[in-house]
Amino acid sequence: MKDNSNISQEIFEAIERYINGTMEPSELKDFKDYLKIDAEFKSQVKDYRIIIQGVKNQSLKEELNTFHDEIIKSEIPKAALKKARYLFISKIAAMAAIIVAIGSIWFFSSSPNQKIYANYFKPYPGLTATMSDTENLDFYDAMVYYKQKKYDLAIEKWQVLSNKKPDNDTLNYFLGIAYMANKNVDKAIPLLQKTIETSHSGFSFIYDAYYYLGLAYLKEGDINLAKKYLTLSNTNISKEIILELPN
Amino acid sequence: MGQANKLEHQIKMIDAFKGNDTIALKEFYISNYKKIEVLILKNSGNLSDAKHIYQEAFITVWNNIRNDAFTPANNSTLSDYLYTIAKNKWMDTVRSNQYKKTKVLKSEHTLSIKNEGDKTVIELEDKKISKAMEAFKNLGQPCKQLLTTFYFDKKLLQDIATELILDETSVRNKKFHCMKKLVDNVFSIKKP
Repeated sequence: MKDNSNISQEIFEAIERYINGTMEPSELKDFKDYLKIDAEFKSQVKDYRIIIQGVKNQSLKEELNTFHDEIIKSEIPKAALKKARYLFISKIAAMAAIIVAIGSIWFFSSSPNQKIYANYFKPYPGLTATMSDTENLDFYDAMVYYKQKKYDLAIEKWQVLSNKKPDNDTLNYFLGIAYMANKNVDKAIPLLQKTIETSHSGFSFIYDAYYYLGLAYLKEGDINLAKKYLTLSNTNISKEIILELPN
Repeated sequence: MGQANKLEHQIKMIDAFKGNDTIALKEFYISNYKKIEVLILKNSGNLSDAKHIYQEAFITVWNNIRNDAFTPANNSTLSDYLYTIAKNKWMDTVRSNQYKKTKVLKSEHTLSIKNEGDKTVIELEDKKISKAMEAFKNLGQPCKQLLTTFYFDKKLLQDIATELILDETSVRNKKFHCMKKLVDNVFSIKKP
């Protein structure tokens, strides 16, 4: 290709007419004759033909690009929908997998003792308020929290009283069962143990204390101590549990 | 579709190509794309290859129709024609050195092998056209608009002048000025 930019407007327009096929027959004949004798002119015409072809092709291409955008636009919602559906299904699948996993961990990891504990442990129902002095008011405030299953608050209040009277069997008993209800068996055991050791004769919760201590040891996996305290508890429910325990 | 209807449809499509009927061209473009995309994706190409090859084939079909190089036959539809051209273009690409070593073509169809001499001439001309396309792509918008209207839409100078509220001579001069600029741009593109 040679630089054609020095061409006159007149010649350029003649070439253009020739390329576009809009020449009058007489002009066309002269033009063709001239092409035969001037090779350089012939090559110049060819270059213009190519450039004009480039204009046409690029104009079309730019139009085709707008058509192509529509193909892409129409595909995006489909793809997004497909993806959303896939995500939804995979979410369900993931949830199902988690449920199965948790379920089987629980099922396979919980020993028979844990199951017995889970079956039998129910928080002690608590007491109704009948006392009137200040200390007892605090005690029954905590009891209100305990009944509302606000075990943290109940423990907090009873702990204050227990610090003043560390050997009070009733306080230690309720603190112990509050810790148990709050799923803190480790802290419950020494308190229940202390309750039994320091209990005065005629202590109304002694059998319950044995019972809960037995359950606490069961939870801890100490079958012998569990059996011991459940036997001491001597209630029908204790006997029932003992029968379920391995020998 | 009966043969007569099919032929009638082909003739209508050819008229649409010749008259640059945007709506008909768009419909034809969109409805024929998927088949070619599938072909190219199956034969080691990507979406960008598919778009490029399809548009090149479409441009070829458009030019051949406008130059009366394609005449409809009963058994060969315009869609088949477009597909064949796209397939050949993609096979040429795959066969070229870039692809030869690394990728294998999975087609049951064999292609007629072009005369090597002809091919070189065609390739050289294609390269020159690509260069002109690139130069035109980067031309200023007013010139682009004017040259598109004149060469692509084939509008008459006097109609263009009326639309632009100018006299015909001014438009003619402007077109010549734009063409000179385009030629300059073509020659300023360095050879690859």
